Amino acid sequence: MNLHRLITQHAHRQANPELWSRRDFLKTASAATLAALAAGAPRSLRAEAAAKKIKPTADRVIVLWMGGGMAHTETFDPKRYTAFTPGMNPNDVLSTFPSIPTNVDGVKFSAGLEQLAQVMDRATLIRGMQAADLGFILHSRHQFNWHTGYVPPQTVAAPHLGAWIARTLGPLDPAVPAFINIGQRFDLGEGEELKAFTTAGFLGSEYGPFNVAFPEQAADAVRPPAGMSPGRFADRDKFYRQLLAASPVGQHGSSYQQESLLRAMDNAHRLLSSPAAKAFDLALEPLESTRKYFPGYEPGMRFDAPRDRFGGKYEEGMVGRFGLGCLLARRLCEVGARFIEVTTEYIPFLNWDTHENGHSRLIGMKQAIDAPIAQLVRDLEERGLLDRTLIVLASEFSRDMMVEGKPETKVKDQVEVPQVINDPKHYGMHRHFTAAGSVLMFGGGMKRGYVHGVTADERPCKTIKDPVSITDLHATIYRAMGIPADHNYEVEKRPFYVTSDGKGKAVMDLFA
Amino acid sequence: MFPLLKTPLACAALALASAAPAVAKLPPERAAQLPAPATRPVDFAKDIQPIFEASCVQCHARGKAKGSFSLETRADFLAGGDTGAPAAAGKSAESLVVEMISGLDPEIVMPKKGKKLTRDQVAVFRAWIDQGMPWPEEITFFKHEPANLRPRDLAEIPAKPGLEHPVDALLDSYLAKNKLAWGQPVDDRTYARRVYLDTIGLLPPPAALESFIADRAPDKRARLVQRLLSDHQAYAEHWLTFWNDMLRNDYKGAGFIDGGRKQITGWLYNALARNLPYDQFVAQLINPTADSEGFTDGILWRGAVNASMVPPMQAAQGISQVFLGVNLKCASCHDSFINEYTLADSYGLASIYANGPLEIAECDVPTGHAAKVKFLYDDLGAIDEKAGPADRKQQLMEIITGRKNGRLPRTIVNRLWQRFMGYGLVEPVDEMDKPAWSPELIDWLAEDLVAHGYDLKHTMARILTSRAYQLPPVSLGEVEENYVFRGPAVRRLSAEQFSDAILALTRQTHEKSAAKLNRHAALTPARDTLPLQPKWIWSTPDAHVKAKPASLVFRRTITLPEAPTEAHFAICGDDNYAIKINGRNAGATPKRNSTYADWVDVSRRLRAGENTIEITVSNMPPDEGRLVSVKTDELPDADSPAGLIVYAYIRAGGETRDVVSDSAWTVVELPKPTNDRFAAADPRPPVELGPAVELGGVDLAPWKLGSHFLDLAAAPEDTLPVTRAALVTADPLTVALGRPNREQFMTTRQTTATTLQALELTNGATLAKLLTRGAPKVLAAHATADTGTLIDALYQQAISRKPTATERDLASQLVGSPASPEGIEDLLWALAMLPEFQLIY
Repeated sequence: MNLHRLITQHAHRQANPELWSRRDFLKTASAATLAALAAGAPRSLRAEAAAKKIKPTADRVIVLWMGGGMAHTETFDPKRYTAFTPGMNPNDVLSTFPSIPTNVDGVKFSAGLEQLAQVMDRATLIRGMQAADLGFILHSRHQFNWHTGYVPPQTVAAPHLGAWIARTLGPLDPAVPAFINIGQRFDLGEGEELKAFTTAGFLGSEYGPFNVAFPEQAADAVRPPAGMSPGRFADRDKFYRQLLAASPVGQHGSSYQQESLLRAMDNAHRLLSSPAAKAFDLALEPLESTRKYFPGYEPGMRFDAPRDRFGGKYEEGMVGRFGLGCLLARRLCEVGARFIEVTTEYIPFLNWDTHENGHSRLIGMKQAIDAPIAQLVRDLEERGLLDRTLIVLASEFSRDMMVEGKPETKVKDQVEVPQVINDPKHYGMHRHFTAAGSVLMFGGGMKRGYVHGVTADERPCKTIKDPVSITDLHATIYRAMGIPADHNYEVEKRPFYVTSDGKGKAVMDLFA
Repeated sequence: MFPLLKTPLACAALALASAAPAVAKLPPERAAQLPAPATRPVDFAKDIQPIFEASCVQCHARGKAKGSFSLETRADFLAGGDTGAPAAAGKSAESLVVEMISGLDPEIVMPKKGKKLTRDQVAVFRAWIDQGMPWPEEITFFKHEPANLRPRDLAEIPAKPGLEHPVDALLDSYLAKNKLAWGQPVDDRTYARRVYLDTIGLLPPPAALESFIADRAPDKRARLVQRLLSDHQAYAEHWLTFWNDMLRNDYKGAGFIDGGRKQITGWLYNALARNLPYDQFVAQLINPTADSEGFTDGILWRGAVNASMVPPMQAAQGISQVFLGVNLKCASCHDSFINEYTLADSYGLASIYANGPLEIAECDVPTGHAAKVKFLYDDLGAIDEKAGPADRKQQLMEIITGRKNGRLPRTIVNRLWQRFMGYGLVEPVDEMDKPAWSPELIDWLAEDLVAHGYDLKHTMARILTSRAYQLPPVSLGEVEENYVFRGPAVRRLSAEQFSDAILALTRQTHEKSAAKLNRHAALTPARDTLPLQPKWIWSTPDAHVKAKPASLVFRRTITLPEAPTEAHFAICGDDNYAIKINGRNAGATPKRNSTYADWVDVSRRLRAGENTIEITVSNMPPDEGRLVSVKTDELPDADSPAGLIVYAYIRAGGETRDVVSDSAWTVVELPKPTNDRFAAADPRPPVELGPAVELGGVDLAPWKLGSHFLDLAAAPEDTLPVTRAALVTADPLTVALGRPNREQFMTTRQTTATTLQALELTNGATLAKLLTRGAPKVLAAHATADTGTLIDALYQQAISRKPTATERDLASQLVGSPASPEGIEDLLWALAMLPEFQLIY
């Protein structure tokens, strides 16, 4: 398409917005994809058609990320409960909450997850998740490993799970970014390390994350910049198009770079003006519905006041923030999102990173996730979307009171545990445990009311049956999306696979 | 400075089972399934060579010998490998190789990877064996001589009328061969915009542009290039981005959080601003100083790291890619399938940066074999295996920057050509083993660089003044098949160029530099001769060779007649430092490896009367990530270089009151810290060790800080405005526009526009804020101008031309009269979105 035609098209569209149909969107989008392909976006070594050989059981994925290390024994795999008593021996503590029944016989959760317990009949629960053995434990490294399938550092920038899916399958609806990342800021703690994997890496920024740190402000991401009225925003765009049409760029003729620039501006404009953009605006959700995700919600609430960054206020805010993130995920699923991650936000020593006050902190964290996730499952089910939406709740590793890493490999203890617990702040799971972990999945072709894997009932509470590696979990997610585990793209002339070296094996037992 | 990585050889090389079985024999029922030998006479070149090329040489020739089996020559082939002789003449049915290629035994089928043989091919192969394996001596499968390796001095380039420039004279025959004619040079505006952006990364200021256009002198383009290249600051701050990407130098990012990474910005800025000759530039990166070692030290993650990514392997990958255009990434795990480099090549180079022998791991599995120290190309020179790390690095530096290595200059001239023309002479630019589309041109540019003292600005000027560079722009996608040079490509502004242009347009600056450096030390001649010479000090002699892990406090008191008017330290501590003055913190580096020359303002801490300066320096045990579970005192050989050097530049009461590190300082050793919060407090008191021991001056190895340290000491506070994105951390705008996360060596960026970029430009907060804050400044600067004049000025600044009448009318309507800040803001945005702004034509 030459420049003149593009400009004419701009003008035409401007004058006749009603003619700008969804079919046209698709047409341009596929042109954009083609352009991206021609543009040095890495080539697939397998024909794209090969990806179609596997019949997908899901169209979209929601990852619910429990950043910081969620103890399996305190959530979805409770063990013997020992109440706090001053002078207690830390070796005696396996769980700091009693367990509760779920609506599946014989499956118990930890107290505080009462609502999730009532949707266990829709869930597949993996109990033998194996985090990698990376020696010295650093949260961001394990999170890198979980999200990319590769161990940092890598010689090329490894893409995030969401970017692989965005690259391979594209957006489900061209007006909704294919990879949306909700709830994580990158200017705190290990933010730089998180950035290293929250990226499309070598796949190219077209497939990178659309970041929404605060769900209640998600609408800002698709609205005019702060302080600019919609009228002025529209005028500015109109003026740009007029200027473009009047510009004598023709003297240099059209060029690849020019066309890619104009097409990108078009795509952005389409996204901003599409009806789908309304899904980002939580103010449009009925209040009673929002309150199912966050009972304390008041219209106009914001979570980013500086005082909330750290400390108690921050943790209180977390309850609502993750809940609204789940609500936003549901709204985006309804308009055609492909991959969404909602995180409880990883900040060193906060949220699931329970170095101290493990027990009391978890009361809040469970409150933050219990109602909204259960509601998300029910809402998607009610809307007929759950069957084709794969929800995956996971964490980079688990925690234990005493054991750091895997029981058989000694790594440096990073959290000191006193000989005798006198202070309640030492009551809880402090160390980083990698030999077991729970992953809860819903929908997307997974079994319902199914538990996979068994962990020991005494310390070390490691996996004793059916362990699942990150590589195989990824292969399972990709398979559900119709992507083979050895699907790959070429970078610097060598193949880079969606699962580590293409070796992932989907856990077929999980599929219904 | 950390000692180099030490990966102990886990186990001695296992003696290989060498009981080579004789020629194997298939069980008769299997042998019956073999394709019958072809009956026609077999021709090696026609019949066998293609089979070797397609299915065998990847692993068994061209320098590789999997299973110790090579077929580079007939003799090699007949000798066989670990499993014995492959074939006996005349007995194809009993030959091991036939059994393998037939695929009848799935356990031992060959080739393991790649194209399996067809039954017809097996039939031909059998016939060849039966006919006595004829193999003309002249056919061999040795390693290819890589292109662009040996220097080649071209004879005098005959100038052609109108093509006096050697680049053009060389290109003329290329164009003729491709049946292309020379186009007309672009006009002055287009040319000026190109060279401004290509030399200093900024848009031409309107006044300078107009006077350039008005200039009638025939050599004005060459003079413009010279003038721009001699703007040392602007040049350095533009090329900083190019080198930051390649050397993966950044100010924030993965690894910095726990000191597993070091920036080299001070060294790099200095090298660019002073136009350090390229051979010395490379020498100081390969055999580094404390200020430049961040490049070869790499990124150190705590915990287990894939064997292919331990720091010495990172160094090997970086050196080969950046300076030689060689990709060793595949060959860091296994013999490469995409080029002829082997695992042994990668480990050979990496071993130069390891303390002890490295154990070769194949795909992260230890092989039990120790790597042999070597350089990639034997012909260029050898590394003495017995030499220590310092000598090995010196030898590698001499080989790489030596006259016999024609690859070094070719690689860099190719990168420059690619920057300016949008497409390299060799492409991709990191596959320098491939021939250039004009070997003469790359050879000549390389030799010309060497002949001019490796002066990169000389080569830049060569290219920028050529007629080739002045050709009309051509359209180029990111992947070009069958590229033919027709002129420079239309290119996109880099993230930094875009951001810098917006900043300049809106008359703003960044708050402060995130890069660790004092620019005066590089840009201004030393303002005074320093009266004192600082010394490296420690508590033990030879600490620059090795010293025990320890935390030492160096103490000195000084008396000042009054509070200082100026006081700063130039300081470097190995591994780090923390300054206290009169008990208050005055500056510190991160805890792990932070050995670089630093400039620290201490004027607010010093007071009239007596002042106590205490500097704590920790010499840390080796930590390559894997050893962290081992207690410090259990480390086998934990000693490493340690030292402190300080120049305290103090002006008080109109007098020079400088103090330097020397034996006048006293030393106290602190007890070892513990992480155990529940352990009883360490009862050991600090130990007084007496006066500090002087180790040597600023040039002392291994730090080799040299005169840069004294320049830094004499430099005033860096109050230069920070106008360039290269000096600050990435923001959402520059990230969206392609500033990379510098964890990998990045020699080229993707430049295709993406939707996420356009979104960031359209409603992202970064650009919006810049424009909102900038618009009133623009208005203030043009307070007396009418709207039309203001619009003209913005057009000239942003896209280097006046608006047309239509454009001026449109813009006037938007901006209003008198101009409103919102109108200016929106005009600036719309201008910045135009291809004319974002592209370099």
